[in-house]
Amino acid sequence: MEFFNRNHKRDIDLLWLLTHKEITLQYKRTSLGILWSLLNPLLLALVFYIAFTIVLRFQMKDFSLFLLSALFPWTWFSNAVSASTVSLIANKSLIKKFPFPKHFLLSAGVISQGIHFLFSLPIIACLVYYYGKTAGAIWLIGIPLLLIIQFIITMGASLAVSVINVYFMDFQFIVAFLLTMLFWLTPIVYPFDTVPETYRLLFLYLNPLTPLMSSWRELFMFNAIHWSWITISILGSIVIFCVGLLIFKKLSKRVDEVI
Amino acid sequence: MSEFVVELDHVWKEYPLQRDRPGFKEYFVNIHKFMKRKGEENSHFYALRDLTLKIARGECVGIIGENGAGKSTLLSLMLGTIFPSRGDVKVMDRVTPLLELGGGFHPDMTGRENVILNGVLLGFTKGDVLKKMSSIIDFSEIGEFVDLPVRTYSSGMYLRLAFSVAIHTDPKILIIDEVLSVGDERFQRKSKEAMLNLIKGGVTTIFVSHQMVAVKEICNRAIWLDGGEIKAEGEPEKVVDEYLRH
Repeated sequence: MEFFNRNHKRDIDLLWLLTHKEITLQYKRTSLGILWSLLNPLLLALVFYIAFTIVLRFQMKDFSLFLLSALFPWTWFSNAVSASTVSLIANKSLIKKFPFPKHFLLSAGVISQGIHFLFSLPIIACLVYYYGKTAGAIWLIGIPLLLIIQFIITMGASLAVSVINVYFMDFQFIVAFLLTMLFWLTPIVYPFDTVPETYRLLFLYLNPLTPLMSSWRELFMFNAIHWSWITISILGSIVIFCVGLLIFKKLSKRVDEVI
Repeated sequence: MSEFVVELDHVWKEYPLQRDRPGFKEYFVNIHKFMKRKGEENSHFYALRDLTLKIARGECVGIIGENGAGKSTLLSLMLGTIFPSRGDVKVMDRVTPLLELGGGFHPDMTGRENVILNGVLLGFTKGDVLKKMSSIIDFSEIGEFVDLPVRTYSSGMYLRLAFSVAIHTDPKILIIDEVLSVGDERFQRKSKEAMLNLIKGGVTTIFVSHQMVAVKEICNRAIWLDGGEIKAEGEPEKVVDEYLRH
């Protein structure tokens, strides 16, 4: 059934209100508030620093910039996908009461995590200058481009996991595991070059996060855009988005019967 | 000459009888069952069976019936929060629900923030809601509490605010599920009056109630649902009496 009085202004307002709600409520009644979204990856980076640089004594140049330039975007992806997993169930009172497009709940989650990521960009910029590098004009092309690609990938994954979890509650635990697995199978704490030659193509083509995270790092550390990586990640993002949308469309009409 | 604003055409709504979500194990063990879900008649429950119904603009339709007769399912279908398993539901205008009032409120958001979100969810732009904000607050009589988180409200204040939002959104089709009692006695009278004004003003109303007196008083048509089917339909007096005798 079509909702009759649908207009775009109202949709934009709704999306913004839901996003705003996500952002303000996530850290409501905490004293550090939105700082937690920066503190979490920073503390994680500290742990990796201890493990890799102090204990294992890996020699990595500009380690904190190297790590954070991929860890911050990863955090966006990972937080958004795990929030989406339970999003439909958490918002069931809204879903049952109001006729509105359910995917707005997911877009709001992905956008709000994306905004948290934007707050981390100044930290990255500081590190760039701390290590004696500069921010190039290419950032102005690179950042929006990568933001869009990452939004599409994250949205595709969110659409799929959210609706599957309504039917199989076990799925949230599987997603948690998959995210951990994906974290270690994506060049985040190690550079793409260290992946053995035989596996490189697998890493690159089976996991669109590989070219994406590597591109973020390439951009921030070397002011460069690796166009073949961008192409692969765009293709990957389209595939993931279409599959996610298909699953969501197929399953979401019956969500009311099981929620 | 009368124009239909709600049309249900041979509508069926089925629910899986096992309401608990199956886990992965059950799913894979019984995968053949899940694959041909349509074939297994007895694993499903039909909340509505082959229901055909038309409601004209300006009508006030009372829906009566025992618990589990499919009344709420019918309302949700008209609202558009659920979809029919078979058949067709057409709703030609904006639907405003007065069901489980305040269910969409978030306890950590202020009354004002909740009013805006609620209004936008009901189909308005933020600008529309802001224009009506002062009359919404006035009608609800919650005063300064509007800028406090909703979790600090008494249940009466909560309902009053939710009711106030719903009736201020210029309803075209009003769906009411037994909410004639909002707040204290005085506010109850006030809210009832506001609703009656809307109904008399020509708003199409679908009204589910167990208060037979109210149905007789307000509605100009009554529908008796039983087991997901229409058992009787017509003059409220006649249908209600028939229902009570049964």
